[in-house]
Amino acid sequence: MLQRFLDPTVLAGISGLDLIARTVVDGFVAGLHRSPDFGFSQEFAEYRAYSPGDDLRHVDWNVFARTERAYLKRYRGETNCQLTILLDCSRSMKFTSHTIDKLEYARYLTASMAYLAKMQRDAAGLIVFDDEVRNFVPPSTRQGQLARLLHAVEKAEVGNRTDYEKPFSHVREFLHRRGLIAVISDFWEAPEQVVKTIAPLRFHGNEVVLFHVLDPEEIRPKFRDPALLEDLESGATLEVSPEYVAKEYPAKMDAHLAEIESRAKGAGLDYFLIDTSRPLDAALREYLAIRKGRM
Amino acid sequence: MGFFTPWFLAGAVAVGLPIWLHLLKRHKTDPKLFPSLMFFEFRETSSVKHRRLDHLLLFALRVLMLLLLALLFASPFIRRSTAASNGKKLTVVAIDRSFSMRDGDRLDRAKNQALQVLGSLRPGDQAEVIALAGQVQALTQVTNDSAALRAAVASVQPGDSRASFGELARYLRTLSEAQKMPIEVHLASDLQKSAMPPGFADLRLAPATTLVLHPVGGAAKNWTVESVVAPRRVFDPKRVKIQATIAGFGTPAAKRTVTLLLNGRELQSKSVDVPENGRAPVEFLGLDAPYGFSKGEVRIDSADSLAIDDRYYFSTERADPRKVLFIDDGRHARAELYFRVALDASGDGGFHLETLRPDVAATATLANYAFVVLNDLSSVPQNLEGSLQLYVNGGGSVLAVLGPGSAVLPRVPVLDEAIQASSYAGREGDRFLTVTDIDSGHPALRSVDRFNGVKFYQAIHVSSGKSRVLAKLNDQTPLLLERAIGEGKVLAFTSTFDNVLNDLPIHASWVPFVAQIALYLGGGGAEQSLNLPVDSYVELRTGNSKGAAAEVLGPDGKRMLSLEQGVTARNIALDREGFFEVKSASGRRSLVAVHSDRRESDLAPIPAETLDLWKGTGSADSTPAGGAAGATGAADQPWGLWPYILLLLLGVAVAESVVADGFLRPSAPQREELKREAA
Repeated sequence: MLQRFLDPTVLAGISGLDLIARTVVDGFVAGLHRSPDFGFSQEFAEYRAYSPGDDLRHVDWNVFARTERAYLKRYRGETNCQLTILLDCSRSMKFTSHTIDKLEYARYLTASMAYLAKMQRDAAGLIVFDDEVRNFVPPSTRQGQLARLLHAVEKAEVGNRTDYEKPFSHVREFLHRRGLIAVISDFWEAPEQVVKTIAPLRFHGNEVVLFHVLDPEEIRPKFRDPALLEDLESGATLEVSPEYVAKEYPAKMDAHLAEIESRAKGAGLDYFLIDTSRPLDAALREYLAIRKGRM
Repeated sequence: MGFFTPWFLAGAVAVGLPIWLHLLKRHKTDPKLFPSLMFFEFRETSSVKHRRLDHLLLFALRVLMLLLLALLFASPFIRRSTAASNGKKLTVVAIDRSFSMRDGDRLDRAKNQALQVLGSLRPGDQAEVIALAGQVQALTQVTNDSAALRAAVASVQPGDSRASFGELARYLRTLSEAQKMPIEVHLASDLQKSAMPPGFADLRLAPATTLVLHPVGGAAKNWTVESVVAPRRVFDPKRVKIQATIAGFGTPAAKRTVTLLLNGRELQSKSVDVPENGRAPVEFLGLDAPYGFSKGEVRIDSADSLAIDDRYYFSTERADPRKVLFIDDGRHARAELYFRVALDASGDGGFHLETLRPDVAATATLANYAFVVLNDLSSVPQNLEGSLQLYVNGGGSVLAVLGPGSAVLPRVPVLDEAIQASSYAGREGDRFLTVTDIDSGHPALRSVDRFNGVKFYQAIHVSSGKSRVLAKLNDQTPLLLERAIGEGKVLAFTSTFDNVLNDLPIHASWVPFVAQIALYLGGGGAEQSLNLPVDSYVELRTGNSKGAAAEVLGPDGKRMLSLEQGVTARNIALDREGFFEVKSASGRRSLVAVHSDRRESDLAPIPAETLDLWKGTGSADSTPAGGAAGATGAADQPWGLWPYILLLLLGVAVAESVVADGFLRPSAPQREELKREAA
């Protein structure tokens, strides 16, 4: 039943990103028929003296054999996977042809990934950008990190036009530790430029995944009449005919998508195209697959 | 071409709407936001050009549609010559045969004038002869048969009706519309002023109608018995008063002798001074009438050429006071007292109240009573209700008074309406109820002053499915209901007569109310006046009593109805002076006195200038300059173009729909795209 909450149109009716994230992830996990601790491995943290009432299963009998004192082994989540989400909030992300726009969809995805990371004790961080870095939450496993992330996601508003060059050079300064970097954007830029800007993140040993968020109307626009189009970011206008939109635009768009995927993979970046009318689980599955590869 | 309503042409400015839609609006297309234009190119395809052509066609059709609509409302017409150009015209010869034409040899002179007109017609000329009285009577069809036309003129006999030139004008307008040719009307009449309609517009003649007058009268002095007021029924001959009015039209002051006759016997004679051109009242006291109907007459000594209006017929009936049955179960003694006193005080003493208990009344012969009152009965014996129903069906009348006693009954006796509840004027609301809705024109409620000031504290709520509500209280409870059953009728009063549930019995409207109710119910069926003017109608049956024959004997003693008419006719018009013996379908007999309309006695003619104006209404020359009719000739008639414009408009509307449909329908590639999406 929870699977239905993965549908973005259903999620749009839920207020509060934390609840959305929880709903998505619980629904997603329930769909996997696995434990919520999927991919979780435990790591020794410290010893603690036994006190009456403690579970005897956790007593380290080797230590007891050596010292004749009972100590309990304590564990903690593995935290050597650091997730950094780069969320594009340029003006083009505001576009929608149905219930939710691309930015909203990206917010759900970001919140869900952050929640999933918290469940796996991963350190999660967030960078919101358009042509500048608008917000930065450093990756951490501290108490309240999820709330900080969700607050930052909630606060993310559409800004100006996208410029990958400037913010990504800053991002490289922020990231000191190896980890997983998820870039959520509509990538309305020449594929060559996109890959050229993002690929350096990979040089530090990071796994980079590009979530290419697009509205179905962007992939296959449907115009019955000639229309005057205005570019959301530049404000330029152009009168286009339905014949062009029906025949030539899809071909160009398909070529663009193929090129960006090809160039991304050629640069060692994972690429995943997301249609905002589709449920979120495919994107989460992609994230987990990559996350698993890092374990 | 002209327009009947040219101001509607201003509606043509509505063409601005399609201009805005097609030309202006197109340049103000709202831009559609799109994330990036990096894959778009400017290209104006052939389909856009094609669509623009479609737009222009659609635009033209829409503009044309609006223009035609404005034109349709402006009602354009063209003037077309009528048959006048061929020299054809219709001659109408109208002869006045109203009551005033009995004066001297007026009618003979009128007929001579008519024959002269017919003699002047050329062979083949179309003509029609009509007679004018209360109604216009066509004596011939439109024909060129001279013999038939002359015979029709010869057959005209004087009548007793009143002439109406308004009716004549209406007939001529209809004729003009039907014949579509110029009409020449020759009116042979005494042209009485009293024959004019109330409004001059009613005299309007159709265009191309020429009125030629042949006056046969002139101012003449005339005395007449203008009116007589006599009681319908005489119960006590000594208390009877007969009032008459003697009028003189164009007369000098004179002394006239007025005589009262009854059944041809002279009873009283008085001398009265009639002022110059004025009126004088005369009153006769006492009328020694035998039992039954009597033929009365008030007559003055004749001193003018119109002697027939020197007498005035009236009819009266000598009868014993009729009995009214008051059925009471003894619980409301005061109600009987109030009702009896009001009945005695109500005038001529024509009713005598008899009170019986319900069980005794069940065995009484109800046909002996003028009407029956059921006073708040808590139970009605079955045989009493049965005999009441028979009594009402046969023409009797029942007044059912409802109160706390009747509230226990499921239905109102005889009226057969459900008793629903009892309405009280509660302490929390109004302290009393009043009458707010009343049919004050109803005979039973004519003099009750709308029950002003009467307070009702309780009323029985009765449903009014089959009955007519004559009066309502302010909480919408029906107060007085009426239902016609068979030949009779039933009234139900939903409050009591005992000064407990209301204060009506101690109110000023009580006695008139009882008097009117008694007259209305005691008359049996619809109470018809016995003294009527000529051309009045007498009702012969009220219900659906098929099979029962009615009978009417005219002044000459001949039957006026055939056997078939006797069993089917609902009423009959009395078209001449004299006494008519009427037996209605319910078996009730009456003697009706019919007298001519005394406005006919005023022989003063219409002023010449008024006649000139009347003649001018039919001529196109009389229309104001610049008027819609134009002055293109008397023989031209406006010919409306609206049917053709309407047809054209419908055609354009269909074309617009087809073009608009083609424009809105998706092209073949778009349809394929839609199919793919659906799949």
